[in-house]
Amino acid sequence: MKYDAIVIGGGHNGLVHAAYLARAGRKVLVLERRHVLGGAAVTEEVFPGFKFSVCSYVVSLLRPEIIRELDLPRHGLEILPLDGTFTPMPSGDYLWRMNDHARTRREIARHSRTDAEAYDEYALAMVEMARFVKPILEMTPPDPWSLHPRELARMLFLGRRFRGLSAGDRYNQVQLMTMSAVDFLDQWFETDVLKATMSASGIIGTFLGVRSPGTAYVLLHHYMGEIDGAFRSWGLARGGTGAISNAIAAAAREAGVEIRTEAPIAKILVREGRTRGVVLANGDEIDADIVSSSVDPRITFMRMLGEEHLPPEFVEGVSRYKFRGSSGKVNMALDGLPDFTCLPGEGHHLRGAISISPGIDYMERAYDDAKYGRFSRHPYIDIVIPTLTDPSIAPPGKHVMSCFVQYAPYHLAESNWDAEREAFGDTVVNTIAEYAPNFKDLILHRQVVTPLDLERDWGLSEGNIFQGELSLEQLFFLRPVPGWASYRTPVKGLYMCGSATHPGGGIMGAPGRNAAHAVLQDRA
Amino acid sequence: MRPVIIGAGHNGLVAAAYLARAGRKPLVLERRSEVGGCAVTHEIHPGFRAPALAHAGVVRDDIARDLGLEQQGLHVVRPETTLFAPSADGRALILSRDPRKTSQALAAWSPKDAERWPEFQAATDDIARVLDRLLRLVPPSIDRPSPSELWDLLRLGKDIRGLGRERLYQVLRWGPMAVADFAAEWCETPLLRAVVAARGTFGANAGPWSAGTTLGWMLQAASERHPAGAPSFVVGGPGSLAAALAVVATSAGAEIRTNAGVARIEVDDSGVTAVVLESGESIATDTVLSNADPKRTLLGLVDPMRLTPSFLQQIRNYRTSGVTATVNFALDGLPAFTALAKANVAAETALAGRIHIGPDVDYIERAFDCSKYGRLSDRPWLEAVIPSLSDSTLAPVGKHVMSVYVQWAPHRLREGDWDQMRESLGDLVVRTLAEYAPDLPRRVLAGEVITPLDLERTYGLTGGQIFHGEHSLDQIFTMRPVIGWAQHRTPIRGLYLCGAGTHPGGGLSGAPGAHAARVVLSDRS
Repeated sequence: MKYDAIVIGGGHNGLVHAAYLARAGRKVLVLERRHVLGGAAVTEEVFPGFKFSVCSYVVSLLRPEIIRELDLPRHGLEILPLDGTFTPMPSGDYLWRMNDHARTRREIARHSRTDAEAYDEYALAMVEMARFVKPILEMTPPDPWSLHPRELARMLFLGRRFRGLSAGDRYNQVQLMTMSAVDFLDQWFETDVLKATMSASGIIGTFLGVRSPGTAYVLLHHYMGEIDGAFRSWGLARGGTGAISNAIAAAAREAGVEIRTEAPIAKILVREGRTRGVVLANGDEIDADIVSSSVDPRITFMRMLGEEHLPPEFVEGVSRYKFRGSSGKVNMALDGLPDFTCLPGEGHHLRGAISISPGIDYMERAYDDAKYGRFSRHPYIDIVIPTLTDPSIAPPGKHVMSCFVQYAPYHLAESNWDAEREAFGDTVVNTIAEYAPNFKDLILHRQVVTPLDLERDWGLSEGNIFQGELSLEQLFFLRPVPGWASYRTPVKGLYMCGSATHPGGGIMGAPGRNAAHAVLQDRA
Repeated sequence: MRPVIIGAGHNGLVAAAYLARAGRKPLVLERRSEVGGCAVTHEIHPGFRAPALAHAGVVRDDIARDLGLEQQGLHVVRPETTLFAPSADGRALILSRDPRKTSQALAAWSPKDAERWPEFQAATDDIARVLDRLLRLVPPSIDRPSPSELWDLLRLGKDIRGLGRERLYQVLRWGPMAVADFAAEWCETPLLRAVVAARGTFGANAGPWSAGTTLGWMLQAASERHPAGAPSFVVGGPGSLAAALAVVATSAGAEIRTNAGVARIEVDDSGVTAVVLESGESIATDTVLSNADPKRTLLGLVDPMRLTPSFLQQIRNYRTSGVTATVNFALDGLPAFTALAKANVAAETALAGRIHIGPDVDYIERAFDCSKYGRLSDRPWLEAVIPSLSDSTLAPVGKHVMSVYVQWAPHRLREGDWDQMRESLGDLVVRTLAEYAPDLPRRVLAGEVITPLDLERTYGLTGGQIFHGEHSLDQIFTMRPVIGWAQHRTPIRGLYLCGAGTHPGGGLSGAPGAHAARVVLSDRS
C-alpha cells in the first residue's frame, strides 16, 4: 500500500496537517503511537466516570481559519466560554477579573483606580499588537540569510508592517518582543497581584521567571486568542480537550485521511537523501514520498531518522534545541467544590480560571526553586473546574479539577520524578488548601502528571509542553533550527509540522497548517 | 551662540572637544568640583590613588586618535594576564590575552575547554568586528533614513553577510539567550562558565539565567575583544583620561566651569533658549548637549509641559535600576591569594588583570536572586582590579590600591538604607575576599565605599545605574533611550543627549559624546 504522505503523530497539529494535505487531494496516513488520538490535546477517562483533559486543558489559540476551513463545529467541536480569572490572596482579599469589562474595571479599581484606567488602554494596545502579529503566525518565517526573492519579499513584508505601525505601537511591539512580562506590565499597572496574575501567562512552558526578558512575548502569545470578538478569553471544549482532536480527526477522515492508532514508528526510511516511508515498531514498512513529523525534533531526527542522514551543523542545532520542561499537571476528581476563604460559596468565580499567583515575589520564588533543580515549594497553579461549564465529564454532583503547575523542572538536582510524584502532588494540594481549607476532604482521586510522564507517555522530550521552549532564541526563523524554519528539513520529502516549528505550541494548529502549505508548495 | 554641555563626564568632555575643534567654543558646566563624572581617580589614603568608579577601559581608538590624547599624556596599559579566578576548591584559573596561552592554562581544567578556546576567541573576534561597525553608527531613522544612513546600513549589511551563514545564525540565536546557556555552549568547567557568564551581567538588573544577558556579553566582548574580558588601564587612573580630554577641549576653545550645577533648561516655542544655573545665573544658548542621563535631563531639567505625555511616559519607563556598588582599598601589600600559592605564576602577573570571585554560575545567580527581593546577597559576585600593579603612580612602592565592583547591590533596598549599610557593605567585601586571600583584612589601610545611593546623589546617576540605563534588549541601538529618539536629538529643538543613555551606551568609550557632537554639527551645517 502506498501513500502520498505519512504523518507521524496524531496530535492536533498532525491531524490538522493531514486534513489539509488530504483536502488538496493527497492520500494521507496518520500514525499514532498511543491508543488515543490527540497527543497532548486528549481526554481520557482516568478514573471511572471522570474524564480528564489530562494535559492541555483550555483552548483559545486555535486558529479561526482552521475552525472555518475544516468546518470543525460540524464535526462536533463546541467551545464553551471560560469566564474570568480569580486570584485568591493570602491577605484574605482576592482579585477577580471577568469577561464583563465593566465589572472587571470596578474590581480592579477596588485595588487601584489608576490600574482600572490603565486596564482599558492596555487591552486596546494588546489588541493592536495581536493584530500586528496575527499574519506573522500564518507565514513561513523568512530565512534572513537567503537572497532568494521570495525570502527577501518576506523580510520586506515584515519591515513594511513594522514601519506601518504608529510610533506608540512600534514602541509597544519592540517592548513586547524583548522585555520581561513584569517590566512590561510595570509600565501600566501598580497592583502586585494584578501584575503577578497577568505575568503568569508569560512564563507558561518556559524555563524563565516573570522578570526574565522574553516573557512579555509569551504574554502576547497567550493573548492572541482573545482578539476575535470583544474580550473573549479562554474556552473549554465540550467533552474535554480531546474533543478538539476528535473533531479535527473527523474532518481529516472525511477528507480521506486514514488514521491508525497504536502504530509506533521505529524508523523513517531514507534513500539517496530523500524519504521513502517509515518502518513501524512491528516491522511493517509503509511507503510514501512525503513524511511529515509532528513529534519534536529530538525524536524525529535523533531517534527516528538518525544523525547519519543529516549535515553535522543541523545535528548540532537539534541537539542544542532547548526543551527543559518546567511544568506538570495534577488532575483531580472531587466530591464537591472548594470553598475559598476570601470569597466563600459556590459562586461564579469558580467557573473561570483560578490562579494561584498572589504576587510577583511569589512567582519569582517559585522560579528560584526550579533554577536550582527543585519543584516549586509554593508553585504557580492555574486551576480550572471544567465540570462547572461542562457537567458531562463527571458523574452527577461530582467535579473534575485540572491544575497546571509551574515550576516542575524536568531535571531534578537531587531526586527523580518517580520518587517525587506524590510529594509534588501533595505540594499542589497543600498550596490550594491554604486558600480553600475544605479542599483536601473533597479529593476522590488524584492523577499527577510529571514532566517525566509527559516525556514517557506523551513523547514530549524533557516534558516540554510546547515541544521546545518558547524563548526568543527559539522563535520565528530560529525555530527549531536556524535556517530550517520553513517546515522543511535537510532530507527531501521530510517535513516538520509540530509545535517545535513556527509559531510554536498551544492548541493553535498553525504549525500543521503552515507546514501543509510548504508541502503542497514543493509539490505544486 | 555657543553650545552648552551639561556635565563634564568623559562623554561631555569628548563632545566638547569635538565641538571645540569644529570652532564652536562650547561651554561645559559641571555640578561637581572636579571633571570626569564617573571617570575619576580619588586619593583614598595619603599617597594612594584609586579609580573611584569605572576602573577599567579607555576611549575608543579612533576617538583617542582624533583628539590626539596620546600627545596629552594619555597612556594605556593592557596587562597580558586578563583574569584570575580562584575556584571553591582552591585552584587558580588564569586567562591571558593570547588564546594559546589561555588554552595551555585551560588544559589543566578541561582538555575540551582548552581545545575550544581558540574557536571561542575567533567567534568573539567575528562578533566584535560586526558590533564595532554597529557601535560606530548613529542609529538610523526608521521612518526617513537619509542616504548616508542607508549607505551605513548597507555597509553594516555587508559586514553581517561577511560573517557567513553559520555565524550569522549563531549571532541571531545568541543575542537573546541567557548568558549561562551561552557559556555552557562554549565551556564545561564550572568556574570558566561563571567567568564568561559574569561578563554578560555586569551592570545588569538580570542574572546569568535571565534571557538576553548574552547581549551584555557581546557588548563587553566587542569592546575588549576577549571572551572573558581583557581590561585596559589608563595610567594615573580614569581621572587622567578626563584630565587629558579636558586639556584637549579647552585648548581647542572650550570653556569648563566646575561647581556650576544646572537647575533647568529654558525652552520656548522655538526650542532651547537658555540654561539656568543653580546660582540663578542664566546663560543664553540655542544648543544644549546633556551628558546627564535621559531621566535627569528630560524629567528633571525641562518643563514637562514642553513634552508630550506619551514621550514623558516612555522616558519614565526607561529602566535605570542600579545594581552595582564599588569598594576601593588602599593596601599595604599585595594580598596573598591561597589559590596562587601552588600556581607557577608570580602573584604580580596573575593579579594584573581582573580578579573574579564567583565560583560557579549558580553562585552568581543566587547573588542576583537576593536583589529581586531588595536585598544585598551575603555571597556577592565581586570583580576586582589592582591597577597599581601596572601603574606605579597610584600607590607607594610595594603598596597597592584595589577597586572592587559588587553585584548585586540593589539601589532600592526593601529594608534599611544604604547610608546605614555602608560599613557592612565594606565588611562584606573584605570578608568575601578573605575567603580566598586570608591576609587581606590585615592589608587594608583604608577603604572607600560607594553605594548605589552615592552613585545617584554624588554622581548624578538616576537609580544608581552605572550605564545611565540598563543595556537590555529593549534599550539599545535604535531604542536607546526610546525608539524614535535614538539619534541624540530630543523632541525639544536644540536639546541633545550626549551621555551613556544614548547609543552605544555605557563604558568609557566616549562614543555617545563623539556621535552627539557629530549630530549637532550636522544639524547646524
